[in-house]
Amino acid sequence: MRQKETYNPPAPVSKAEQKIYSEVYDVLLLGMLVSTVLFAFGLVLALIHPHFIPLTRDYVLKDYNAAYFFRGLITLRPSAYMMLATLLLILTPVLRVLISIYAFFSEGDHKYTLVTGIVFLVIVLTVLLGRLGLK
Amino acid sequence: MPYTLFFVGLLLFAAIVAGFFGALLGVGGGIFIVPVMVLAFHLPMKIAVAASLVSVIATSNAGGSSYVDQHITNLRLGMYLEIATTIGALSGSILALYLKDWLMLLIFALMLAYLCYTAFATRNLDDRRIALGDFSRARQDRLSAYLNLRGSYHDEAANRKVDYVVSGTPEGTGIACLAGLSSGLLGIGGGVLKVSAMNAYMNVPMKVAVGTSKLMIGVTAAVGSILFFMAGLIHFYVVAPVAVGTTVGATVGTMVMNRMHSASIKWLFAVLMAYLAYGMFAKALVIRFHVHFPVLM
Repeated sequence: MRQKETYNPPAPVSKAEQKIYSEVYDVLLLGMLVSTVLFAFGLVLALIHPHFIPLTRDYVLKDYNAAYFFRGLITLRPSAYMMLATLLLILTPVLRVLISIYAFFSEGDHKYTLVTGIVFLVIVLTVLLGRLGLK
Repeated sequence: MPYTLFFVGLLLFAAIVAGFFGALLGVGGGIFIVPVMVLAFHLPMKIAVAASLVSVIATSNAGGSSYVDQHITNLRLGMYLEIATTIGALSGSILALYLKDWLMLLIFALMLAYLCYTAFATRNLDDRRIALGDFSRARQDRLSAYLNLRGSYHDEAANRKVDYVVSGTPEGTGIACLAGLSSGLLGIGGGVLKVSAMNAYMNVPMKVAVGTSKLMIGVTAAVGSILFFMAGLIHFYVVAPVAVGTTVGATVGTMVMNRMHSASIKWLFAVLMAYLAYGMFAKALVIRFHVHFPVLM
């Protein structure tokens, strides 16, 4: 392979990319920090009164109720804080995808708006399949 | 599960160790923490996989940020490959909902055996190629050219700017999809598959491959986690110590990693993974056929 034919100079990093780089950094780090603190808080709450915890799906699904969840936050129920931390952790990368879509779109980069848009569609599809009640 | 200070403390400690060694080897903690949860803590496979997958997001955030900050991560390449990894992760986690525990254990054992093999086999050819300026000379395929997949970063070890263009996009995409599948099915990051796909097939320098893989792991694991969450498989009391432990372990491990010679300790990890593979294999046989293999401990 001869160098002259195939050498491509590297693309300059666009403004949109620089913006994403810095925003991604903040989003990822913040999400991790806050969720770790929430998990740790939930753990401390749980260990104040050690008890037996069933490993069944029903025990987990008990928390899937908005009113019960928010009441749990007020009454300092450990699982409510752990659930909040889990949700936050899961949503951090999703938020990152949304920021990227916005940044590429505002820069007029249609190719990458489409690429990141497809990634977001896969996430939406996952939620829809989950709602369908697999298993 | 008795939720006492002793039990939680042990699980937390195991997660810290798994996260630490995972970061040292650059594989994430999932590959260690799932076998530990199943073999040592006797947790059900699916709960272990779901808990590990959530903690994988945290470790990806922990190490990934520094790569993003240093512009080692190729954002466009990551975004593009995420299409493949998320589709793979969705398929893998759907599979995980329906597969029997013993089959998942068996597949996990096979994955460990494969990683054990790659830990032995990988040689870092990057240094020579960086010195020759080799990475900028590959021929871009049409998809790579269309998506403008190329970049440059400052390599501190070689002390020079390294330019590269991405080639072999179709093959790399296929393997990225497989990596996503293994992530959703087994609760691991699948980083090893992604890194080797980018480095071996797509002409991406090792450090860029690692940084880009880390960025993708977050979204990939999030897709599987969403499905597990909605299915009620994420047990919050299991996730909490595992996520905190792996995050702490991975953060410390990433800081130490740059100062260590990975080649000299790789054989140790290979032995460890072979041991865990044996354990998972033996457990699968116990569950399915009630055949007891001798326990090596």
